[in-house]
Amino acid sequence: MKWMPFILRHLQRNWIRSASTASAIAVCIFLFCTLQTFVASLRGSLSQGTARLVTRNSVSRFVSLPYAYGERIAAVPGVERVAAVNYFGGMRNVNNPDSEFENYAIDGEKFLAMYPEYMLSDAEKKAFLGDQHGCIIGRALAEQFHWKNGDAIQLTSNIYRTGPFDFVVSAIYQTDQVRYPGTDDAALFFHHKYLDEATGRKAGVRNYRVQIADPRQAGVISHAIDDLFENSDTQTHTETEAQYSASVGVLSGNLLLLLNGIGLAVMFTILLVTANTMSMAVRERHTEIGVLKTLGFSARLVLCLILAEGALLGVFGAAIGLALGRFLINLLPALPVIGDLVQLFPRMNVPPAIAAAGIIIGLSLGLAAGLFPSVFAYRARITELLRRV
Amino acid sequence: MAERKVVAAQSAVHLDDLCRTYERDGQRIPVLEHISLSIPQGEFIALMGPSGSGKTTLLNLIAGIDRPTSGSVEVHGINVSALSERALAKWRSRSVGFIFQFYNLIPVLTAAGNIELPLMLASLSRKQRRERALTALGIVGLADRAEHYPRQLSGGQEQRVAIARAIVTDPQILVADEPTGDLDAKSAEGILDLMQTLNREFGKTIVMVTHDPRAASRAHSQKHLEKGVLLEASP
Repeated sequence: MKWMPFILRHLQRNWIRSASTASAIAVCIFLFCTLQTFVASLRGSLSQGTARLVTRNSVSRFVSLPYAYGERIAAVPGVERVAAVNYFGGMRNVNNPDSEFENYAIDGEKFLAMYPEYMLSDAEKKAFLGDQHGCIIGRALAEQFHWKNGDAIQLTSNIYRTGPFDFVVSAIYQTDQVRYPGTDDAALFFHHKYLDEATGRKAGVRNYRVQIADPRQAGVISHAIDDLFENSDTQTHTETEAQYSASVGVLSGNLLLLLNGIGLAVMFTILLVTANTMSMAVRERHTEIGVLKTLGFSARLVLCLILAEGALLGVFGAAIGLALGRFLINLLPALPVIGDLVQLFPRMNVPPAIAAAGIIIGLSLGLAAGLFPSVFAYRARITELLRRV
Repeated sequence: MAERKVVAAQSAVHLDDLCRTYERDGQRIPVLEHISLSIPQGEFIALMGPSGSGKTTLLNLIAGIDRPTSGSVEVHGINVSALSERALAKWRSRSVGFIFQFYNLIPVLTAAGNIELPLMLASLSRKQRRERALTALGIVGLADRAEHYPRQLSGGQEQRVAIARAIVTDPQILVADEPTGDLDAKSAEGILDLMQTLNREFGKTIVMVTHDPRAASRAHSQKHLEKGVLLEASP
């Protein structure tokens, strides 16, 4: 620790250069953390969705399916449960489209049985299922709008124009982000039956969520469901929930590879920039390094001091990048295009493992950048260093 | 042989048949040839000679920052040229004070910070380091400049700080490479006065490279180098 002031002094010497280097590393770690958090959310979603299928209209996900399809899908071998789900598009303020949040009409009993990630006690579940106007909301939503059990909510849908719709908060569901990462805890679910009746049975079903017994049979069952309606007026398209989520965001199958590729390219570029900057910084101090060695600083100590400078810059930059990541990731949903994509993976927060990886990468970048100049300083003879005045 | 050992034991510095050759572009360039010299303890010696005569190389060898091609350098009985790099660095930190022509202070450190640098290698507390640095600053007459940065000091003051840095570990020998070469006449006189004081009152053995006859006249003795060879008699 006694060397820390000495190292800090050198970093302050050309503070613009130090700040630029730290900023470059910060950008790198910010991108890494954001991309990896997104990737983790996507992976979480993919891993959860393998045992569930989504059947929708083959024309578009915005065109409904007949009510009768539910029972027919449920009869397909390998299918355990079928639940109707409609995105409701409910707004708190009809004059303010930005007041829209995630809300869905669901087949309550079947849906909750299929989605253990939305956790309710038996009493809460009973209260919800027993009230046609009841709804369940996530904890984040409850905190955002200061809603609690028993509160009356009125929403106007931008899809179903017959409203407004009145709801009563039956329960606030819990989530477990460790067991079920990426679970939306800022959504509202209410009874499909209420939507059905309120719209004069014109709402239809936007998609059926299909729980299957064996995820390995997902392809076979998907085909079986679609074959069932092949000769009907309304044909279906069935896919895994993960594929559905991905297609909603127009995500290609190589997205993970692409994101990781971008991350690696950015890191490599930053490494080159940082290494060059560190080399310049050390090159300017050849005489000083010669003086330190003359005073009795061992080559190893000089090497360690320069590496420590790089490491400190790396960790400092990584900490800034991480802080930026944690802060800005909450703002992503508000961005155009990206926001639509990110909304598929609500509650994105930089997980501790990714944060730790970010710090380690920042540290490694700093050390790698300092390696070449420190090895030069280690090897250089004092007389050579002093001659470079 | 026995006589040589006695001489070496009594000398602060004993150079025996010292040669230094550099290789550049495949060519061997002899810089010092068969230098033998004994410098008694407490001596103040001036090394003189034209540019390229090998003065600085000889000084570097005595200070242990360069190694001879052949021959040996003994300082206070220690064969410096036989030490490992690590042992040599440790020896330098304790036994030699180096004064550069261009002061070579670390610009991001204050005067006191610069003087504390060699003490960072010793097992001293921060307070002890600070006390010793201030003592050294007092000796060179700059007690009130402890918190000044090099850019805030004149050339003469910078060199005084450099001298304080050289003496703060209480080394047995001081080596100075053109210590007045970058100073005006008045500042140079002050530095030479200070070096004489260090030699006279603190008993430091001083080896000084200089071009300046006036600076050399302050030394007890002068040695002349020409084309890497030590001239037998001073002119």
